[in-house]
Amino acid sequence: MRPYFEKMPSFGKALKESRIARTRESREKLEAVEREIAAAREARQNVGIPAAKVNERGALTIWQRLDYLVDPGTWRPLHSLYNPEENEEGTTNVVDGLGKIGGRWAVIIGFDNKVLAGAWIPGQAENVLRVTNLAKRLNLPLVWLVNCSGVKLPDQEKFYPDRRGSGTCFFRHAELEQTGIPILAGIYGTNPAGGGYQGISPTILLAHKDANIAVGGAGIVSGMAPRGGFDVEGLEELIARTRDIKERPPGRVETHYGETGFFARVYDEETGVLDGIKEYMRAIPAYDPMFFRVAEPGQPQLSADDLYHLLPFNQREVYSFDEILARLVDGSEHMEFRPEYGPEIYTGLVKIDGLLIGVIGNRQGLLPKGYPEYADYPGIGGKLYRQGLIKMNEFVTHCGRDRLPIIWFQDTSGIDVGDLAEKAELLGLGQSLIYSIQQTDVPMMLVVLRKGSAAAHYIMGGPTANRHNAFTLGTAATEIYVMHGETAAVATYARRAIKEKDSGRPLEPIAQKMNEMAQSYYDTSRPAYCARHGFVDEIVDLGSLRRYLEAFAGAVYQNPKSICPRHQLLLPRLIKG
Amino acid sequence: MAEEVRAPLAGNIWQVLVELGAQVEEDDELVIIEALKMENPVYAPRGGTVKDIKVKKGDKVAEDDVLLVIE
Repeated sequence: MRPYFEKMPSFGKALKESRIARTRESREKLEAVEREIAAAREARQNVGIPAAKVNERGALTIWQRLDYLVDPGTWRPLHSLYNPEENEEGTTNVVDGLGKIGGRWAVIIGFDNKVLAGAWIPGQAENVLRVTNLAKRLNLPLVWLVNCSGVKLPDQEKFYPDRRGSGTCFFRHAELEQTGIPILAGIYGTNPAGGGYQGISPTILLAHKDANIAVGGAGIVSGMAPRGGFDVEGLEELIARTRDIKERPPGRVETHYGETGFFARVYDEETGVLDGIKEYMRAIPAYDPMFFRVAEPGQPQLSADDLYHLLPFNQREVYSFDEILARLVDGSEHMEFRPEYGPEIYTGLVKIDGLLIGVIGNRQGLLPKGYPEYADYPGIGGKLYRQGLIKMNEFVTHCGRDRLPIIWFQDTSGIDVGDLAEKAELLGLGQSLIYSIQQTDVPMMLVVLRKGSAAAHYIMGGPTANRHNAFTLGTAATEIYVMHGETAAVATYARRAIKEKDSGRPLEPIAQKMNEMAQSYYDTSRPAYCARHGFVDEIVDLGSLRRYLEAFAGAVYQNPKSICPRHQLLLPRLIKG
Repeated sequence: MAEEVRAPLAGNIWQVLVELGAQVEEDDELVIIEALKMENPVYAPRGGTVKDIKVKKGDKVAEDDVLLVIE
């Protein structure tokens, strides 16, 4: 298959000076949002007690542990700003992402030991579920840096119980292990109760000498028998018992290494634990990327810096998706699938780091005359019509057959609407695409380049494709909402406006409410909001997008659950004809 | 030889990006038409000199109206 992949057709054109000049302001706006996201990320990193204080106690912070553990240049943070319950701490108190350890990709997560000694807090359980799902979807080892004081007791009702509460993580760990995905844990500090299960549920436990894991910690062991209230005499007894047990918390190394043997190894140094994880990572099966590469890896021929002049900040401005893609893929080369059919959608094969990937994206701008073929109105990119929906169904199905991972790029205002669209079966074709995705069982990732809206956000490999969407990225131009705020205001208030008008009442209050609603939509669809609430798993600088694409490609090809020999691939033959 | 650049769709002229006498290359953006809630660029079909500009910002145009002439 070398003739197919060694040199695929080139695409993309060099950026014109006139466009650079005309889009300078757009670039500044994109970069301003990226600076805002970077500042929020840094603020999140600095919450809690200062790193120096942690170091004075002889411990490393989670960030220092990650820095030591992860191969240089491979850390791809996820959920940096995720804080769906709007915790005052500004975090879910776990730090996670993709990274290489010992040359192999892993999903990595750790408790932030600067904040409440790594406690469980609201929103964390959902964060952890995203991470365990990610490991499952990518078939990657999960690495935990455990340092967890257990439940933040005043808030326990917000995350301790429920179907997707904090305990769900332990069932997910068991599920990963059942499917053959190993979980490595480096264990530090005091880990009682929930922290104890965070420690015991992984596959291999590597402990620091001062670590402990226990069903219950010193705090509750000394006060397990409720007496119906508190008085001074009772407190005196409590103080005496607590002083005694604090010296010797349950579940110390002498117990869980010396007696139970739960800990596989114990290390005197903090970094020793991390070295142990590296050693175990190197023992986990992983293909050399060479095994699956269809060509030598190469950088795009066109500069990623151009992206700042190609993706307009202004949501109404049309651009070329193909030009953007050409800045992200090896050699700026591709093989487009059915270019003449469904012109609002790009489908094609590209190489990322020499690995074959399917790409689907919304094209923008005016569509060729006569399209959509079922209507008398012009077609505009970003919307989905009959042919585009059929083409995506086909392409996704072929990718499933050929075991090719898919990267989706969304900038969509939705599926065409109206009687003609209904007669053209768009409702059914949208759900068909969901069915097609569901039956592929190949990993997918999504980049919401600009707009993710209406049902199109779901059907184009959106995060709602829980079992297929490994993660979703946003950019500085991302907006996600069911519809534009002004559209929503019209839908909500149009009839009321008629009533007010017919009753002779003033319309200004309705106009004000409509403006407020539109503003609210704007505020709750911006990149930082999307990241805080998990609409995306990370907002990424345009210049760093390819790094995430490379991580995705490397991760899915590291240890795939099923493969299609390259000489048995169907899609390249269908494209060649 | 002169070539007329026509509106690919009906809408309002949002921006005229070139001046009379300007040298343009193929695929340069010439005019932006606001239509279907989007700002749609109109590109130069070939290189040349802008000989005539028939529209200005805010004008309404119908599909196939001549926007400008390149020679």
